[in-house]
Amino acid sequence: MKNLKPILVVTVALSFILASCHKDKKVTPVTVVATSGLYVLNQGLFQDNNSTLSFYNYTNQQTTADVFSAVNGRGLGDTGNDIEIYGSKTYIVVNVSSTIEVIDTKTAKSIAQIKLFNGSTAREPRDIVFYKNNAYVTAYDGTVAVIDTTTLTVGQSITVGNSPEQLTVANGKLYVANSGGLNYPNYSNTVSVINLSTNTVTKTLTVGLNPQNVVADAYGNVYVLSAGDYNTVGSSLAIIDDNADVVKSQANFDGSNMAIQGDNIFFTTSANKVEIYNAKSQSITNPGFITDGTVITTPYTVTSDGTTGEVFVTDAKDYISNGTLYAFDKTGKKEYSITVGINPGKIALIKN
Amino acid sequence: MHKVLPYVKRYIYRLSVLLVCFFALPCLVFAQTDTTKKLKEVKVNGSNLPKIQTITPSQQITANDFDRYSALNVADAIRDFSGVNIKDYGGIGGLKTVSIRGFSANHTAILYDGVEINDDENGQIDLSKLNLSGIQQITLYNAQPDDILAPARSFASASIISIKTLKPSLTADKPYQILAGVKAGSFGLINPYLQWQQRINDKWSFIVNSYLENANGHYKYKTNINGPDTTLTRNNTAVRDQQVDGALYWTKNDSNKFNLHINYYNSDRGLPAAILNTNPTSYQRLWNKDFFLQSSYEYTWNNGLHLLLNTKLSQYITRYRDPSYLNDQGGLDDSYTQREFYQSAALDYHIFSNWEVSYATDVSFSNLGAYSPDGPIYKYAFPSRFTLLNMLASNFTIGKWRFQGDLLNTYVNEQVKFGKPTPQETVLSPTLMALFKPFKTQDLQFRAFYKDIFREPTFDEQYYFTLDGSRDLKPEFAKQYDLGVTYRKSIDKFIDYVAFTVDGYYNTITNKIVVEPNQNIALSTIINLGKVRIEGTDIGIKTQTRKTNGWRGVMALNYTYQYAVDVDLGPYYLQQIPYTPKNTLAVNAGIEYNQMGLYFNQVVSSSRYFLGQSIPENYVDGYAVSDLSYVYKFSAYGYPFAFSAHADNLFNENYVIVRSFPMPGRSFICSLQIKI
Repeated sequence: MKNLKPILVVTVALSFILASCHKDKKVTPVTVVATSGLYVLNQGLFQDNNSTLSFYNYTNQQTTADVFSAVNGRGLGDTGNDIEIYGSKTYIVVNVSSTIEVIDTKTAKSIAQIKLFNGSTAREPRDIVFYKNNAYVTAYDGTVAVIDTTTLTVGQSITVGNSPEQLTVANGKLYVANSGGLNYPNYSNTVSVINLSTNTVTKTLTVGLNPQNVVADAYGNVYVLSAGDYNTVGSSLAIIDDNADVVKSQANFDGSNMAIQGDNIFFTTSANKVEIYNAKSQSITNPGFITDGTVITTPYTVTSDGTTGEVFVTDAKDYISNGTLYAFDKTGKKEYSITVGINPGKIALIKN
Repeated sequence: MHKVLPYVKRYIYRLSVLLVCFFALPCLVFAQTDTTKKLKEVKVNGSNLPKIQTITPSQQITANDFDRYSALNVADAIRDFSGVNIKDYGGIGGLKTVSIRGFSANHTAILYDGVEINDDENGQIDLSKLNLSGIQQITLYNAQPDDILAPARSFASASIISIKTLKPSLTADKPYQILAGVKAGSFGLINPYLQWQQRINDKWSFIVNSYLENANGHYKYKTNINGPDTTLTRNNTAVRDQQVDGALYWTKNDSNKFNLHINYYNSDRGLPAAILNTNPTSYQRLWNKDFFLQSSYEYTWNNGLHLLLNTKLSQYITRYRDPSYLNDQGGLDDSYTQREFYQSAALDYHIFSNWEVSYATDVSFSNLGAYSPDGPIYKYAFPSRFTLLNMLASNFTIGKWRFQGDLLNTYVNEQVKFGKPTPQETVLSPTLMALFKPFKTQDLQFRAFYKDIFREPTFDEQYYFTLDGSRDLKPEFAKQYDLGVTYRKSIDKFIDYVAFTVDGYYNTITNKIVVEPNQNIALSTIINLGKVRIEGTDIGIKTQTRKTNGWRGVMALNYTYQYAVDVDLGPYYLQQIPYTPKNTLAVNAGIEYNQMGLYFNQVVSSSRYFLGQSIPENYVDGYAVSDLSYVYKFSAYGYPFAFSAHADNLFNENYVIVRSFPMPGRSFICSLQIKI
């Protein structure tokens, strides 16, 4: 028996060493989300179910890494693609989880989880816009789903093309980019135009291969940025006249991650620069927005604050580690930067 | 402290109690024997010392012990080994791959009767597909096997798992033996198997192993994806597979023998996907049709020159279907066909009785085709690979020392139908080993090895969904330094023996191949990124009592400490390598009484991170999981029977090994086998 004792002692001792090796998982309790700040929606990694919502508080300059799970006790799910604020609510579109999380903008508390399923097959929502108390959501099943923002229920589905990406509202119509991404290698090259009073597709326009971003300016133009096939076909920009619904210009264009604020259309280039296309002058007015030498490895999304003129750019770095959000003043000088989650793909600015 | 700690403590407490019970029981019996039967001689079986580890660290499990570890497949059988980290996606059909001493599964070669189960497509063998039917013994060698007469491929990986199947050894009196059994239980599992051994004459014999496995695979798991502690049932987990393995043996004598294996495996299974918020349902299916033909011939001349020839032809067909993928074709439906021809010749000669040299040369041609229902997959490379290995090895003994070393030359050349192939490669890989045995009469040995090896990028890494046909990946290099000591000793009338082994190791990986997944498959990238440093310690203790009045206690303990970090400057500097726990402990303890045995197995793993940054968001809890198994051998109707029953995850621990892939709770499997 005495020979066994040391073994037992070793076993038990080792077990305790192991137990003490468990690290604490830090959970920061969050009670109040201030009224001025911004949300960064981090996609996380495909199939890792790790989308997070970073919150940056302008007042105390504190960042909460995942305010959604801290407040709601569960994660956002897989691949948060879009976040938009409408009224007092914030809508977070989670693609593979096939849901739209509706939260109270001020508290980040979940109000509703709108699941988008066709039977038990995920419809995979992608991008959201609002018009007259309705939300319009592109879904990878080739539709735009109409959601009543009062009842938060899913109504009609409008059939568009394959793998629709972004959409925008202009002149009482909806412009939807049909990328065809899931039909790889057979990308699409169309934009569906939907009449918002009848919710029907009135026209399908041909643009560059693999359209992704759609924005509208104040001069009756809808800009469609196509990614090409990432190989031999390059990216291109089509400009649609939202009155006649015709493509009035179409040209090769080195850009992605397009966003508009007033007359400034921000986009990033293949050289990882942030540039501005002016909607009024219809030219690139500001090549190289960043003036202080700040280097961004992988610019992932750009957003501008219309009031302050600040520009926010995220850096996805190597796509598998935490990213950074940079804030620049209107002259392109860095104000501050914060660490955000993996693949920070969308920013929502909280306004009072 | 996080909430896992109380659970771990509870299990450790239970473990300790069980251990104490297991050992107290035979002690009590023994004590009784001592006092009341002093004059009667206690019947004691002879010592049964385990095989001592030699020049490289090795750990072994034989068929008799599979039940002791509640093992259903090769992954279960080796999960207690030190240095082993099984990446288990959960359930009957869940993928199970092995990482050894911090290296990815691609650095471990699996030998089936001496010949590698090679997969150039993804390089990670799914151990859940390797049923234990017909397997006689599994040995894990760090670095390489210690016998230098072997195919060059045995020396071409960082670690080797060597699977040996049962060879028929029947006499003319009873020229056949049939083993029939069935395993059944939780997951709707039913797994009948049959083994037929036949002696044809004094030279020829054969053995056929076959089984069917059917399971719905369902199990309940707790998750917080929809809020705290929801219980869901794992779906799309059904498994249907069949395997036949036939082996024909011809043995003229010990120095002239031949065998031929034919193996066919067919499987159809659901692929349970990652549990995603609000969308935990998967519709993906996987079909495998694997076939191989393998033969081996061995001849020894009178002068001691020893020849070993091995040949293998294989074809692996994999079909993957995901009907929920939202393309216009109504889903993905891809098929892959991988074929290989492999030939190895090895020669071994003793120049002096203490100096042995060997030479082995292996050639292999492999190719991979990828098809969708409409034809070849768009822009797929259709790669073919030619590999030539040349290996010179030597083994030299002098006094208390033994030295072994080899030099391996690898030449790889690839061709593609589309795009550009990986540039051809020639790599020289040395291994040096030494063993020192200071005392003639003591089983105490010191050993050290250095091994420098690499792995080729797999076809998937190199060519899967590339935009211009190929990624320019470099091979991933793995260097190992090991220093160890082994000791074993017969003790006394009560403790049969104690065997003890400790190894400290230092490993490095350069040009680590890292996958950066993207939802848009075309944008996924795979690159050579980073350096890894692994510092570790493996400890193994094995002991058993002598059989006393039919009673025997057995125990094995394995512990691994691993500090595996990225050492490239950048966001991952000194961050723990994903899915590499710092501490793992496996304890197996049992008590046997005549033909019965009751065993308790526990595997404890500390926390891990599922991505490269060791930050709270990437944290995966540690776990402690326990199994209990019972084995009973008996005779009925004049035939020997074996019955076993296991309760796996005895305490119904809710845990994951791979993030978002929940493991089953408590489950039960019984088996009954008859030998005719």
